[in-house]
Amino acid sequence: TNGGRTQEARTRREREARTERRGAPSTGRPPKRSQEGRERFRRAGGEQKGRERDGKRTGREERAEGAAKENKNSENERTKKLRGKEERGGGEAGKEAEEAMKKKRLSGEEAHEAVRKTSDKELKQAKEHEQEKSMKPAETTSEFEICSSGEEEEAKDVEVVLGSLSPEELEKLKEAVDDRKKLIGTLRGKPWPMSKKLVTLRESQEFVEKSEGALGKGRGRKLYAYKVTLRKKWKKFQRDFENFKTACIPWEMKIKEIESHFGSSVASYFIFLRWMYGINMILFGLTFGLVMVPEALMGRPYGSIPRKTVPRDEEASAMNFAILWDFGGYAKYSVLFYGYYNNQRTIGWLKYRMPLSYFLVGVGMAAYSYMVVIRTMARNASEDGGGDDTSFNFSWKIFTSWDYLIGNVETADNKFASITTSFKEAIVEEQESRKDDNIHLTRFLRVLANFLVLCCLAGSGYLIYFVVRRSQKFALEGLDNYGWWERNEVNMVMSLLGMFCPMLFDVISTLENYHPRIALRWQLGRIFALFLGNLYTFIIALMDQINLKRAEEEIVKFNMTIWQASLYNGTTPENSTAPPITVHPADVPRGPCWETMVGQEFVRLIISDTMTTYITLLIGDFLRAVLVRFLNYCWCWDLEYSFPSYSEFDVSGNVLGLIFNQGMIWMGAFYAPCLPALNVLRLHVSMYLQCWAVMCCDVPQERVFKASGSNNFYMAMLLVILFLSTLPAIYTVVSIPPSFDCGPFSGKSRMFDVIQETLETDFPAWFGKVFSYVSNPGLVLPFLLLMVLAIYYLNSTSKTYKQVNLELKKKLQTVNSSKNSRQNCGHISPAVQVGSSTKSSAASSSQTPPSIRPPVTQTHPTSGSLPGQPRQPSSRKQHAPSRGS
Amino acid sequence: MVSAAIGLAFLPLLLTLLIRYRYYFVLFYRAVLLRWVQDLVTGISREERVYQYVLTHAIPGDPDSILDTFDDWCTKVEFISHIGPKKGMILDRLLKEHQPLTVLELGTHCGYSAVRIARSLPLGARLYSVEMDQRNAEVAEKIVRLAGFDDDTVELIVRPSDEVIPCLRENYGVERLDFVFMDHWKRCYLPDLQMLEGSGLLGEGSVILADNVIFPGAPNFLRHIRRSGLYEHRVHRAMLEYISGIRDGMAELIYRGAK
Repeated sequence: TNGGRTQEARTRREREARTERRGAPSTGRPPKRSQEGRERFRRAGGEQKGRERDGKRTGREERAEGAAKENKNSENERTKKLRGKEERGGGEAGKEAEEAMKKKRLSGEEAHEAVRKTSDKELKQAKEHEQEKSMKPAETTSEFEICSSGEEEEAKDVEVVLGSLSPEELEKLKEAVDDRKKLIGTLRGKPWPMSKKLVTLRESQEFVEKSEGALGKGRGRKLYAYKVTLRKKWKKFQRDFENFKTACIPWEMKIKEIESHFGSSVASYFIFLRWMYGINMILFGLTFGLVMVPEALMGRPYGSIPRKTVPRDEEASAMNFAILWDFGGYAKYSVLFYGYYNNQRTIGWLKYRMPLSYFLVGVGMAAYSYMVVIRTMARNASEDGGGDDTSFNFSWKIFTSWDYLIGNVETADNKFASITTSFKEAIVEEQESRKDDNIHLTRFLRVLANFLVLCCLAGSGYLIYFVVRRSQKFALEGLDNYGWWERNEVNMVMSLLGMFCPMLFDVISTLENYHPRIALRWQLGRIFALFLGNLYTFIIALMDQINLKRAEEEIVKFNMTIWQASLYNGTTPENSTAPPITVHPADVPRGPCWETMVGQEFVRLIISDTMTTYITLLIGDFLRAVLVRFLNYCWCWDLEYSFPSYSEFDVSGNVLGLIFNQGMIWMGAFYAPCLPALNVLRLHVSMYLQCWAVMCCDVPQERVFKASGSNNFYMAMLLVILFLSTLPAIYTVVSIPPSFDCGPFSGKSRMFDVIQETLETDFPAWFGKVFSYVSNPGLVLPFLLLMVLAIYYLNSTSKTYKQVNLELKKKLQTVNSSKNSRQNCGHISPAVQVGSSTKSSAASSSQTPPSIRPPVTQTHPTSGSLPGQPRQPSSRKQHAPSRGS
Repeated sequence: MVSAAIGLAFLPLLLTLLIRYRYYFVLFYRAVLLRWVQDLVTGISREERVYQYVLTHAIPGDPDSILDTFDDWCTKVEFISHIGPKKGMILDRLLKEHQPLTVLELGTHCGYSAVRIARSLPLGARLYSVEMDQRNAEVAEKIVRLAGFDDDTVELIVRPSDEVIPCLRENYGVERLDFVFMDHWKRCYLPDLQMLEGSGLLGEGSVILADNVIFPGAPNFLRHIRRSGLYEHRVHRAMLEYISGIRDGMAELIYRGAK
C-alpha cells in the first residue's frame, strides 16, 4: 500500500508541480486565476453553490487521479527508472502533497492554501526533475503525456468552472492544441516503441478533440465542432475506402501472406500471375464478347452447313470422352475453333460483320498485348531510378538489406542468416578483389557452366527434333496404328524436358557462384532459351503439317468437283442457282481445314502443359511434403532437415512457364477463339493451387532475396515472347491462303482481304480513296522515317538526362565528402568512408552552430517536444523549428 | 510401349539428382560399401582396423597424436562417424569454458570423443563413458589407455544408456552431471534426455551437447528442447565430419530447470 500511496502522491504532486511550472513562470496566472474565478463566482452565486462546486471539483479530481493512475500503470515499465529517482527525490514533497489532499477532501480552500505553500518547494524540485529528465530523452516524453493529462484535466476544469475563458488562456489552450497536433503529425517518425506511440496518439487525439470545441464560442463553436467531426468522418471514410479498395484487389491478402512467409521474390511471381490473369480476362472478353457469343447467337445453327456439322464417318465416336478430351468430335465443330465460322458477310438482324470482327479481334488482341506490356515496362523503368550498386556497398547492405514484408519466424531466420552470410561474403569478396588471384578460376567455372548448359540445350533440341520427325512418320502412316505413348510423344518429351532441364541448369549454376539475383537472371535466360527452342521446334513441325494439309486440300478440291459432277449426274454443272438435290451436310466431302488443326494443336498443348504443371505440383510438392512429414517419424535420418527435405518454390521456372504459356495463347488464339477462356481458367485454378501448395508444402528459400527489380526483366521476356509468338501467327495470316471450305475467310485469297472488302462495301467511296492515298508507299515511308527519327531523338535525350543525373550524383558525393573531410579534419579511415553517405547527413545536422538551439534539444533531438522550460518563457517558439531536425 | 525418347527425357533429372546429392553418394560409398568390402577382405571389424592403424601410427600416451591419427584414418582410409576435428573444436571450447567436474558421455564407439574430452578436462574431473556394444567397448578401452588416461579419469560403462542413467547415483555415486555429451543412437537422444531430467542429476548450468542433430538428425529431440523451456539452447551449424558438403549441427543445451 505504501508504494501505491507514494505513487498516488507522486502523481498528484507531479500534476500540481506541472501546473505550477506551466502556468506560474510564463504567465503566473492559472492556479491563482482559477481560485480567483471561483471566489468571484462564489460572490456572485452564493456560498452553497460554491461548496457544491467544490465538492464536484474534488470528486472530479479523484476521478482524474484514477485516470492518471491507470495511465501510470500502462506506463509503469517505461517510467520505472524515473520513478525510482522521483520517489527518492520527492518523498517529502509527496507526503506534503498527500496531506494537502486529505485536507482538500475536508475543505477545498484550505487545500488550495496548502498547495500554494508547497508550491515553492515543488517548483525547485520540479526543476531538478526537469534536468534529470532532460538526460533521458525517451522518458521525458512519457512524462509529457502524464503532465499533459493533468493539464488536460485542468483545462477542462477551467472551462467547466468558469464557463468562458480569458483571451490569454485561450491563447494557451490554442498553443497546447497546436502542440498536440504537431505531435500527432510527427509521431510516425519518432523512434519510440509502437505501444508508446499508440498511447500518445490516443491521448493527444482525445485532448485535441476535447479542447478544440472550447476554442470557439456559442454558435461558432458548434459549427466548428461540426466541421471537425465532419472532417474526421471524411478522413475515416477515406481510410475505410482505401481499405475497401485494397480488399477489392483480387488475391491481395493471399499474396501479402505469401510475401510475408517467402519474401518478395516468390510474391513477385504471384503478382505477375495476377497481372497475367488481368490481361487474359481482357483477351477473353474480346474473343468471347465479339466473336464467340455473336456467332453462337446470330450465326447459322449447328448442322445447317457442312462446316458446322460433324462428318458422317466421325458421327459414331463424336461424343466419346476420349475424343472430346482431344478436342475432336463435337468440340471441333463448335464456336471454339476457327473452322466453325461461316464466311457470310453479315449475320443476324444486327448485320454483324462476323469475318471483319474476327479479323479485328485477332489484330486487337495482339495490339492490346503489345500496348500493355510496353506501357508496364515503361512504368517499371521509371521506378528503377538507375542507382549504382557499386559504391557504398556495405552501407546499402546495412541499411537496406532487410525485407520488411517478412512476417514469419522461419523466413526471418533465413533472411537473418542470409544477411550475415552476405556480409561475410562481401567482406571476403572485398579481400579477394584486392588480392584478385582467383578470378581466373571463377571465369573458367563460368565458361564451363555455360558450355555445359549449351550442351544440354543442344541435346534437348536434338531430342525434340528427333521426336518430331518420328511423329511425322507416324502421322504419315496413320496414327490409329500406334498407341497413346506414340501419339503423345512430342508433348510428353517437351513437357518432361521443360520440367527437368531447368533443374539441371540450377545445379550447374552453382558452379558460377553468382549473387542469387544475378543467378536468377541467368537461370531465366537459360530456361528461356530452352523453352524457345522447344516452342520453335514445335512451330516448325506445325508448319510442315500445314503444308501437308494444304496438299491434301488440293486433292479434296479436285475430288469435290468430281463429286459435285457425279451428284448432278454431269448434266448441269454450271447451273448452281437452285440445286435440285439436297444432300445432308454431314455427307458433303470437305477439306482438312488446317486452321482448325493448328488451333487444336495449341489447345492440346495448353491442356497437356497445364496437366503436367498440376501433376508436378501434386507429386513434386504435395506428395513429397506428405512423405517427408509422415515418414519422418519412422526413418533413420532426419528427412525434414537433410536429404529430401521440402521443396522450394521455383520462381524462375514458374515465371517462364507462365510466359511461354502466354506466348502459346497469343500464337493460337487466332485459330482457336476458346484459348483465352481456357487460359483464364488455368490461371485461376493455378492461382489457388499454387498459393495453397506454396503455403502448405514449400519452405522458404535458403537465400531469401529481394526481387523488386526482377519485374521488368519478366516484362522484357514477355515482350520478346510476344514478338516471337506473333511472328508465326502473322506469317500464317499474311502468306498462307485460308482453307476453301471452312472459317470466316473461306473463299478469299488472303485473310486480310476482309479489310478491303469492308472498305469497298461499307464505307463511302471517298474513304476508300483516302485510305488508298494514305497507304501509298510515298506517304508511308516518310512517316516511318519520321518515327525512326523521333525514336532516335527521344533515346538520345533520355541518355543525356541519365548522364546529367550521374553528374549530379557525383557532385552531391563530392560535396558530402568535402564536408566530411572538413568535419573530421581529414581523418577518414576506409571503414568510415564506407558509410559516408549516411554519415554526411549526421555531420551536416551536427554542423550547425550549437548556440542557435536550446541545450536540451541540442543533445537529444527527440526531446524537442518537451513542454515546459520553466525559466524560458519563449522557449516553445524556439523548439518549433528544432523539432524538424 | 514407352518409347526410348521419353526415357531419354528423364536423363536431365537423373543427372540433376546425381550432382545435387553427390555428397550423399560419396558418404554411402565410404560408410557402407567400403566398410562391407573391407570387412569381407580383412575379416575383422572396422573398429579393430582403426585400432591397428592407431597402434602403428600414433605416439602412445599422446592424446593429440592419437586424435590426429584417427582423423587421418577417417579421411584417407575409411569412414567412421566421430565428432571429427571441426566439431571437436566446439566441444573443446565448451569444456574449457565450463570446466566440468563430472562428465557423462553417451556412445563411446571407439573412444575418439572420450580421448578428446578427457584431454581438456580439469584436474580431478571424471568422465563416465557409456557404450552398449561389447566389442566397441574393448577397442575404446584400449584406445583410452593408449592415450594415457587411467580409470580415475575415464570410466567405461558397458551397458545400454537407458539402463545406466537411472542407476548412476547408486552405482557410481554421481550427484550431479556438469556436462553430458550425446553421440549414440539418434533415436535414443530424446528418451535419454528425459531420463536425465527425471533422475535429478542435472543441475542449474549443466551443459548437454548433442552431436549429429541435423544429419542423421534427431527432430524429436530438437522439438522437445524447444518446447520444454528447461534449457537455453542453440544449434551450432557445421559440416558432417570427414565429408564435405553435408550439413550437420550440434545442439548445445544449458539446463536452467523448471521456472
